[in-house]
Amino acid sequence: MWASEIIGRRDARVRIGLRGRFIAFVSAIVIAFGVVLTALAVRVQNDLLRHELDERGKLLIAVVATHVTDSLALLDVRQLRQLINETREQENVLDAVVFDEDGRVLTDGTIENPLRHLLIDDAARQHVAVSDALLVEFSGDVMTVTKGVRLGGRLIGGVRLRYSRAGLAKDQAVLARKTALVGIVFGVLGVLAAALLTEAVTRPLKEVIDATRAISEGKQAPHLQVRTADEVGELAAAFNEMTRRLRETTVSRDYVDRVLETMGECLVVTRRNGTITLVNNAVCGLAGASEEELVGRHCGELFRAPKGYASLLHALNPEGSVHGLETELLSSTGEEFPVMVSIAEMDESPGRSGRYVIVAADISERLRTERQKEEFITMIHHEVRTPLTAVRGAIGLLDGGVAGDLGERGRELVANALRNSKRMERLVNDILVSRKLDFGHMTFHLEEMELMPLVDQAIEATASYGDQHEVRFDLDETAPGARIEVDPDRFIQVLTNVLSNAVRFSSAGDVVKVRVNRHDGYLRVAVADRGPGIPEKFRDQVFEPFARADEADWRNKSGTGLGMSISKAIIEELGGAISFDTEVGGGTTFHVDIPESDKLRESHVD
Amino acid sequence: MTRPGRIAAALFSSALIVVIACGGRADERAEPSSPAPFEATGIITFGSVSLNPASEHEVFRPFVDHVASRLREVGIGRGRVVVVDSISKMVEELNEGRIDVYIDSPFPVGFVWKRTEIDLLLRRWKRGSETYRSVVFVRADSGVNSVADLAGKMIAFGEPFSTSGFLMPKAALASTGLMLDNYEDAAASIPPDRVGYVFSNDAENTMFWVLKGKVDAGAVNEDYYQALAGSRVSELKIILTTEAVPRNLVCVRRSLDPRVTDALKDLLLGMDEDEEGQGVLKGFEETARFDPWPGGPERQLAGIMDLIQYVEEDVGQ
Repeated sequence: MWASEIIGRRDARVRIGLRGRFIAFVSAIVIAFGVVLTALAVRVQNDLLRHELDERGKLLIAVVATHVTDSLALLDVRQLRQLINETREQENVLDAVVFDEDGRVLTDGTIENPLRHLLIDDAARQHVAVSDALLVEFSGDVMTVTKGVRLGGRLIGGVRLRYSRAGLAKDQAVLARKTALVGIVFGVLGVLAAALLTEAVTRPLKEVIDATRAISEGKQAPHLQVRTADEVGELAAAFNEMTRRLRETTVSRDYVDRVLETMGECLVVTRRNGTITLVNNAVCGLAGASEEELVGRHCGELFRAPKGYASLLHALNPEGSVHGLETELLSSTGEEFPVMVSIAEMDESPGRSGRYVIVAADISERLRTERQKEEFITMIHHEVRTPLTAVRGAIGLLDGGVAGDLGERGRELVANALRNSKRMERLVNDILVSRKLDFGHMTFHLEEMELMPLVDQAIEATASYGDQHEVRFDLDETAPGARIEVDPDRFIQVLTNVLSNAVRFSSAGDVVKVRVNRHDGYLRVAVADRGPGIPEKFRDQVFEPFARADEADWRNKSGTGLGMSISKAIIEELGGAISFDTEVGGGTTFHVDIPESDKLRESHVD
Repeated sequence: MTRPGRIAAALFSSALIVVIACGGRADERAEPSSPAPFEATGIITFGSVSLNPASEHEVFRPFVDHVASRLREVGIGRGRVVVVDSISKMVEELNEGRIDVYIDSPFPVGFVWKRTEIDLLLRRWKRGSETYRSVVFVRADSGVNSVADLAGKMIAFGEPFSTSGFLMPKAALASTGLMLDNYEDAAASIPPDRVGYVFSNDAENTMFWVLKGKVDAGAVNEDYYQALAGSRVSELKIILTTEAVPRNLVCVRRSLDPRVTDALKDLLLGMDEDEEGQGVLKGFEETARFDPWPGGPERQLAGIMDLIQYVEEDVGQ
């Protein structure tokens, strides 16, 4: 029962509302103002009344004193009794007496005259003996006024009058009634003013509330009128701005929804526990299930656990995300679609648990293409390289004279065939190497060894090619004892590629400078030619496979188009880098940077 | 009151012969000689002597109304009060039959009784007493020890028609051989073989005049003396106390219908026996009751008539 009462009171308090509180507040202010004003008015009125009464009392005794003079002189007590009796009937007069020159009461205005012969108090007697002025004494609400009466300068008696200021209470009662009336008027006016003010203030608020309620009910939010430039007006303007942005947001959300529905990638939103809360059309299409069928299921039923993980969500990194994870999407028909998955955690908002957004791209086509490429490489390897080796061998035998003298013309033809077969063999080898590098199938046999012998071997291997082009190599700076950890064959492959490339772009008689030094913590092999330089628009494509410049001269001097991309892939696999400096007409310098072996460097440093 | 003032008041009052009644005038009264049976519209008129007719009327009004309302059986429909300012006027009014009932103290009644046809009906216990006396007093230090010592002195009496305040003490003094002369001024010089007197018109005035030495002696009702002297009674000395006389007398015009007279007598005698009558009597100058004359009216009046000779001139004014 107590609890219900408490709840009831609480409800009652809540129901007071802004309007009620505002009315109460304004009413209280106005009423308090009225009360204070009225209290001040009462105080002033009281003072005025008191003053008026005092003055009236003083005036009255002066008049009485004048009237009793003759009767006092004649000692006509009967006449004095009548005068004092009339005086006693005056408003607020408590009593009055006439006394003789000795201060003895002659009459108090009554027939009984009980005060007859009594002496008035000493102070009054002494006062009237020496002064014509009024003697005014106060005792509580009683004012006693005494005045001597003189005739021919001789004191013949006096008048003493007790005047009640309690009569003030009567006037004050009237005043109190008026005050109460004023208070009531103030109260009523206060409540009316409060109601009007409240209406003026809360009407815009009510419009906002109604508009907000309309939004919450899914209705069109009305545009609020901004009537004032105050806070309420600001509220209305802010509300309009909010509804405008809300409309925009709603449009954006529709747009996003359409994008999500039309995007090719699968989009899945799950709770933290993996329960699916949202899927797009792509998911439904791939999984062969409707949204209703998928929502509520666990994402583990939709995605196979990636290799090495217990489930898809276990693959998340500490930041709650993962990118480029390959797994399979499991359809309801039992099919498995290879997908590349990226997962991101959605920010948590207050009151809402976290979400994961899973975006899965169907990579079936890409894998099929890669498989076709692999099959193509395999085909090249088996169907082109093997016969080419046989052809090259046969031509080599011919060139070696196994078939006898072929004659000058025959030798030229064989030499040409041999040269082209070698070239074709290089092309096939480059393609195979390139594919191996792409798929990470290249095997590196790392060894720690000195750099310079490898450089010397590369120069030596390319020297004959340089001789053919009347280009020689000049190793003018070395790094003796510098050691690196590389696959020597692959590293030499990179160097010979760079060296032969320099030869191709050099003119007959040119010298290709080779320098070995340390640069930014790496060992650098720099190969500089004095060729035409790399055209500016081609510089970004130098390390792309099959990259060739448009310029005919430059294109003619290019090799298979795979050399530099292979070199870049190899050197990066070895932990190094390849770059170049070039100047059109001024030559090109390729830099091959390779990490110096830590052991050696540390010993070197020691 | 000064002499001119008093004269003016007397003229004014005499000219008017104030008639205050319940909707009637003096000339509207029933013809006293008419033997016709009384009807409920008959009027009974009470008379009084006073210089203050308004207050006198207020005193008489309830009493007269009460009496008139009880006399319907004898044809009286209403009562009326006529106030005159002198005994002579009262004699005249009674002789003219314009006043039916006259209530006053013994000296005025004795004066009137000698000059008109009235019958003494009842005695009135005014202010609770059936008789009263007057005292003549002087300051204790005045050197006046007896009435004889008043020769060449000034004495203050009350109102000229007051029995206890003037007529009775003056008559008592005169009966001792003193010759009294009236003066307007209390400070007038008095021959050594005469006694001067002034009217203070108020017993309280008389007391203060003596105490303050304005006059040598004063005369007041004995009942008032102690109250008026108060704490200063020791400063005073009484040199004469008169014989007791009836307090008030009720007289009726002899020509008034005997049925009315009898009915009135019966009514007044029993008036103190019921609560309403007691209330009316109390308001009528605290009258205790009305009763018959012990030993008959003539016996009671005899002593008064002996004194009246000394104040007959005064009463008649």
